[in-house]
Amino acid sequence: MILGQIGFLLLVSSLIFSIYLIYLIYFNYKSVSDIISIKIYTFTFLQLITILFSFFFLIFSFVNSDFSLVSVYQNSHTTKPLFYKISGTWGNHEGSLLLWLLVLSLFSFFFLIQSRNDLKKYRLLTILFQNLIIIGFLVFIIKTSNPFLSLYPVPLEGLGLNPILQDPALAIHPPILYLGYVGSSIVFSSALAAMIEKYVNKIWASSIKIWIMISWIFLTIGIMLGSFWAYYELGWGGFWFWDPVENVSLMPWLTLTALLHSIIILEKRETFHSWTLILAIISFTLSMNGTFLVRSGILNSIHTFANDPARGLYILIFLSILAFFSLIIFYLFQPEKKETTRFFLFSRETSILINNWFMIFFLVVVLIGTIYPLILEILNNSKISVGPPFFNILIIPFLIPFLIFMSIGPRMNWINTENKSIIKKKLLHLLVIIIIFSPMFFYFDKKNILSLSIFILGIFLLLSLLNELKEFFIKSKIRNISKIISHLGFAILIISISLNNIFSIEIDTNLKVGDSYKFKKYELVFQNISGKVEKNYNSVIGKFILKDIKNDIIYLNPEIRIYENPPMITSEASIKNNFFYDNYITMSNIQGGEYYNIRFQKKFMMLWIWISALVMAFGGLLRVFKK
Amino acid sequence: MKIKLVLFIVFNIIFNYNYVYSKNNNLDLHKQISKNIRCIVCQGQSIDESNSDFAINIKNLISAKLEEGLNEEEIYQFLKSRYGEWIVYKPELNINNFILWILPYALFIAGGFYIFTKLIKKKKKININRY
Repeated sequence: MILGQIGFLLLVSSLIFSIYLIYLIYFNYKSVSDIISIKIYTFTFLQLITILFSFFFLIFSFVNSDFSLVSVYQNSHTTKPLFYKISGTWGNHEGSLLLWLLVLSLFSFFFLIQSRNDLKKYRLLTILFQNLIIIGFLVFIIKTSNPFLSLYPVPLEGLGLNPILQDPALAIHPPILYLGYVGSSIVFSSALAAMIEKYVNKIWASSIKIWIMISWIFLTIGIMLGSFWAYYELGWGGFWFWDPVENVSLMPWLTLTALLHSIIILEKRETFHSWTLILAIISFTLSMNGTFLVRSGILNSIHTFANDPARGLYILIFLSILAFFSLIIFYLFQPEKKETTRFFLFSRETSILINNWFMIFFLVVVLIGTIYPLILEILNNSKISVGPPFFNILIIPFLIPFLIFMSIGPRMNWINTENKSIIKKKLLHLLVIIIIFSPMFFYFDKKNILSLSIFILGIFLLLSLLNELKEFFIKSKIRNISKIISHLGFAILIISISLNNIFSIEIDTNLKVGDSYKFKKYELVFQNISGKVEKNYNSVIGKFILKDIKNDIIYLNPEIRIYENPPMITSEASIKNNFFYDNYITMSNIQGGEYYNIRFQKKFMMLWIWISALVMAFGGLLRVFKK
Repeated sequence: MKIKLVLFIVFNIIFNYNYVYSKNNNLDLHKQISKNIRCIVCQGQSIDESNSDFAINIKNLISAKLEEGLNEEEIYQFLKSRYGEWIVYKPELNINNFILWILPYALFIAGGFYIFTKLIKKKKKININRY
């Protein structure tokens, strides 16, 4: 009880510090001295510490199952394992916003320390914008989403955390995703500050690049963890559903990826100032949009919006103010066009522009596919669903030129590629690869043509990159190794997804104990079922044997879990994998019978989809540590 | 030479793999249709992914309609007339959804046009400067 009150007081004092900081920044900005006053450091630190402790107190309350707090009562339970009591802290709207705020102030503090070599006024303005965002969040939390709201009389038991959220990957997924989202706030604030201070140049580009990289890395890993969780926990065997909640995390990833590329032009060639700034602004707006849309529940249906009008309204107003003012700043302080920058059609600049062109296209598809149904429902009250078919039709064909450009583009020189033979050589390689793989087109069903084309181009990209790696290690030519590794990750991702699409098998049938089911070269035997009692659930475990023609045997044990707090039944997949494919099985009970619904899938290259995301992030990490 | 060798090996692996899985491993039509139908009583699931009563009923309905000889598009139309456009994951191209389908392409073309006119202009300028 008392911890909760202290936690709330800490939040309020943090708000006071933030407001005081703005006052300090104002006077420091006007003063002639070249250094940032020590007071600003002190109060930024205090701001961080108060939020940190407030967050700790919330965690303590969750660990102690202090049900006098509404958020603990609604999301925790005494029988829950300690790990999930802790992760329950950010498994709900209020707690997750506090975590967001914590990361925001943490990054703000790190920026202040790390940017010592930059201009004073630019640093001050960046911190100023950070503080405006922090204040916005503090007011939002205190007014509409207070995690320390108390409850009387104190209930004896909590309602429990949704069982499908009780999972290790999902416990760390939000913090990592938030590090990515919030990292882009620094990029946003510093872009605005640099614009006002006429500091949008090489030096700014190279100092902000590291922040773009950091948020991109966290976002990549965060998205991958979410997708991994959906794969093994939801029991459908897919890894990407084009669900609105997934889409909102993909959008800032796309703009950050575009930004990562365009910032290189700014750094190396001092051009595309305005475009880079726009990307920086959009990235953060989309990040914030993502958190809010997911947390406010607008996405599932417009009607949940009405459940808490105060929250929704605040979100909308805060976002609009932020977007509006950044546009005004952009309009007023937009960098002047310089005529010094020239480049030719066959240049690195063009290839990076092409990358941005496609990235923005993908962004528009995802954005419009996600919000169009919402807008349409408001405008003329008609409900439509925009699902996988829409996204696949629009995005997949565009991957074909995208992959070709991605294989050739990085081989261009800055300004102009005098020696065009490299392009001819690449196109020749492509032709050879297409000829070698072309028999596959006759061999497979027509439906796979697109997947096959993507696969072939994935191989083309992979080979180009391996060639670059060879030049790096054997001929010791100077190459950007972190770029090669990240692109390699993307090539593996593309190849894995296309093969997964072509070769995966899916069986859906109803079996009872003792039954067996034959398909292709396999036989699936349902041997028996057994029960088990765990701390927070009971489960029914099925024992299955999968035999193939060579009589290799794989044991699979899917579960049906019955949770009591809150009451819920979940199906746990049993996954046995090797390097090339996953055997994935789930079972669920059919009401009033001895039959179970069995869904068995052989998923090709699944492991490589996760590995590829890690490889991409690892490439970025190399760049961060090289600095 | 090495590249060709690698390609040869990759190629072979894929072909041999394909012998293990037989040729026609595509989802059958029923599955394909179910994946495109929203389970309207669930949260963001297709009826293929759900075991709710609603999903089971619709799956049975699809089987029945397939036996009657309806094709994929006719089944979608039938379900739409019964449950509204919302039930299908692929929105149709009509006046309501025109922007949804057209805007991404339009922006892509506009963006490309902008980039390349800019590049061509630049090229001309450079040429002029050379003389």
